[in-house]
Amino acid sequence: MDRTLENFITALRRSGVRISVAETMDALRAADLSGYGDRLLLKDFLSASLAKSMPEKEIFEVCFSRFFALDYITGEDFLLENEGLPPTLQGEAPLTQIFMSGDVGGLAMALRAAGERADIRSIQSWTQKGLFMQRLFQELGLEGLNRDIRTLAEIGGQDAVNQVKALKSMRDNLMERVRNLVERQLELYAAQRQYELSEGYIRNARLSALDERDLARIHKIIQRMVKHLKDRYSRRAKAARRGHLDFRKTFRKSITYGGLPFDTHWKSKKIDRPEIVVICDVSRSVSNIVRFFLLILYSLNEVISRIRSFVFCTNLVDVSPLFETHPLPEALAMLRSGAGIPILLSRTDYGGSLLDFRNQYSDCLTKKATVIILGDARNNYAEPHTEVLRMISERCKRLIWLNPETPSLWGSGDSEMKKYLPYCSIARECSTLRHLERVVEYLLRVHNR
Amino acid sequence: MSALDTKFATVEVVRRGLKDVGYIATTQIAHTVYLAYHLGKPVLVEGPAGGGKTELAKAAALFMGVPLIRLQCYEGLDESKALYEWKYGKQLLYTQLLKDKLDRVIEGETGLAESIEKLHQYDDIFFSPQFLEPRPLLKALQEKDGAVLLVDEVDKSDDEFEAFLLEILSDFQVSIPEIGTIEATSKPFVFLTSNSTRELGEALRRRCLHLYISFPEQALEREIVMTRVPGISERLTRQLVSFIHQVRKLDIKKLPSVSETIDWAKTLVILHAETLDKDMVRETLNTFLKAQEDIRVTEEKLYALTEHAIREAN
Repeated sequence: MDRTLENFITALRRSGVRISVAETMDALRAADLSGYGDRLLLKDFLSASLAKSMPEKEIFEVCFSRFFALDYITGEDFLLENEGLPPTLQGEAPLTQIFMSGDVGGLAMALRAAGERADIRSIQSWTQKGLFMQRLFQELGLEGLNRDIRTLAEIGGQDAVNQVKALKSMRDNLMERVRNLVERQLELYAAQRQYELSEGYIRNARLSALDERDLARIHKIIQRMVKHLKDRYSRRAKAARRGHLDFRKTFRKSITYGGLPFDTHWKSKKIDRPEIVVICDVSRSVSNIVRFFLLILYSLNEVISRIRSFVFCTNLVDVSPLFETHPLPEALAMLRSGAGIPILLSRTDYGGSLLDFRNQYSDCLTKKATVIILGDARNNYAEPHTEVLRMISERCKRLIWLNPETPSLWGSGDSEMKKYLPYCSIARECSTLRHLERVVEYLLRVHNR
Repeated sequence: MSALDTKFATVEVVRRGLKDVGYIATTQIAHTVYLAYHLGKPVLVEGPAGGGKTELAKAAALFMGVPLIRLQCYEGLDESKALYEWKYGKQLLYTQLLKDKLDRVIEGETGLAESIEKLHQYDDIFFSPQFLEPRPLLKALQEKDGAVLLVDEVDKSDDEFEAFLLEILSDFQVSIPEIGTIEATSKPFVFLTSNSTRELGEALRRRCLHLYISFPEQALEREIVMTRVPGISERLTRQLVSFIHQVRKLDIKKLPSVSETIDWAKTLVILHAETLDKDMVRETLNTFLKAQEDIRVTEEKLYALTEHAIREAN
């Protein structure tokens, strides 16, 4: 397989473009058609066969220009100074010879070959920059050039001095270009290594530990997750819609038609979709998880009948209107920045927030509602008001507590989790995407029992 | 070399050919069409509404001299509407008409089983190609000299239909249980368009080449207007294209499309306009702005926009 194309595809994959084997084949055929002479043609051909969506096209643009940029060896400027100088010494090192003969192409070849030998594609982090530059200099034979310069300086004389000057400036120039080359390769092969984090890894990683940069990936995974859940649970609803024959009713009606079961009646289970009340702690420790949890819940609006959402820190605020009036991404961004929400973000107060909930919003506690509380239950040693939680638990269908901490930490220090635990139908650890998925799936599955 | 191959000899030939049928293609579009022909792959075209996605397929059909077969997608589109259907009416009519014949055929047989056995010898006469009503996809496969198949707004169809398309797009064949597999006599040139109202599946994307058509640059749009609206002066074209490009930068709901630029140009020509003036612009705004809110926003800045357009054109 074409080596250049192979490298280019590797670079694209590492930058987050998904490329299948079939697409690689297409790209090969496309490159055969276009050849490497016409850059624009090549670019359009490869773009059509490799980048299949708008975001991918953008990545492609960047990668292509980086990959096929050859400006690090344009070279004229450092060979010009050589003109009109009678060489005192022809030089023994190959690099000196290239410099003295003004062979730009030769230099480009040498640089490329040195890059191959130094295995520059395996560069992974900027800390290796120095190492790879050293390797490149070694492969290029910089040592030999330096030796020649020293010999020249010892010879002395005006011509020799001039030549030393020229060679030195050319050497500095070359060093600069090698540095550029290494940096470019780093950008190409390593800068976006985050995309190599596998999906499995992200699903199991603690959300609070993931980087801002991974957000796009997480959103993608969540989208897929949501689609999966939607498919599964809306299909079930479809199948269950008709129900089975209501024999008694059909029989009773049939009397009117002389005993013929003319008018059939069906027993269908009324499918009620879960009604959910979410109460989220938005202090720093849990805010990431809250965001993703809300993203999943609100994306599932087809299988969930109603969501009321509240956030709290020092006080409790109803944020449902935010989600009704703004598109989902915007609402989540507002929640994050706290813009337009009357919330106090000082000491986290679980007891106070629970009281707020009871006093203002207890009307949303119905026998159909599942209440989900998301938080670490770290109350800064204030009054936990467990009696309010008991009241909530008695008046709703189910109370679920999701805690981002592992169970072994529950109840330690200022965590009131142990006191709240008796009133929860279920309490679970919830710190990764996989946990979130399980919780949502559980919600949808057990709802009708 | 076939006649079509000469039409796709080089990118430049393709580009000129498209221009001859009235489609001004960017290099990128010409490149992709050329590549798609040579790889025999469908092209998935995305981009804002009114950017010329559907137009491209029409132009390609004209240019290649083959029929254009169009399948408009919508929610609930299924096989029977897209691929084929049995002509139930005809089947019913024929059984009625041939009742005597059928009676004679099974005459002399005594039992039910024997009669059915006898009928079986005549095989599936009522499920033969004569009773098949081909829908766009099958029609495209059956065209002898090839065709351009346009699957328009594929994002409007449901996931199931998208999955169903995969077989046709990769193998250019369909299977009809009663008849067998029907293969394309010559591969149709397939265009799929999408406005991204729904994210398309990875599998579909993988099988297609991808082309993004955005709104054209000013120079290109001028060229388009000049070809499409004969008799328009160069000065007016410059002014109106510059105006449209400014409007596209405003914060409005629906950006004016290329086809609407052309409509506006035609309107102005009918009104014998020589140059833009703001009263005329105000009265003709509704040719390219279709929402009251958008018209209001644009009218507020009408003076500045017109002035700027006239200045830029000079």
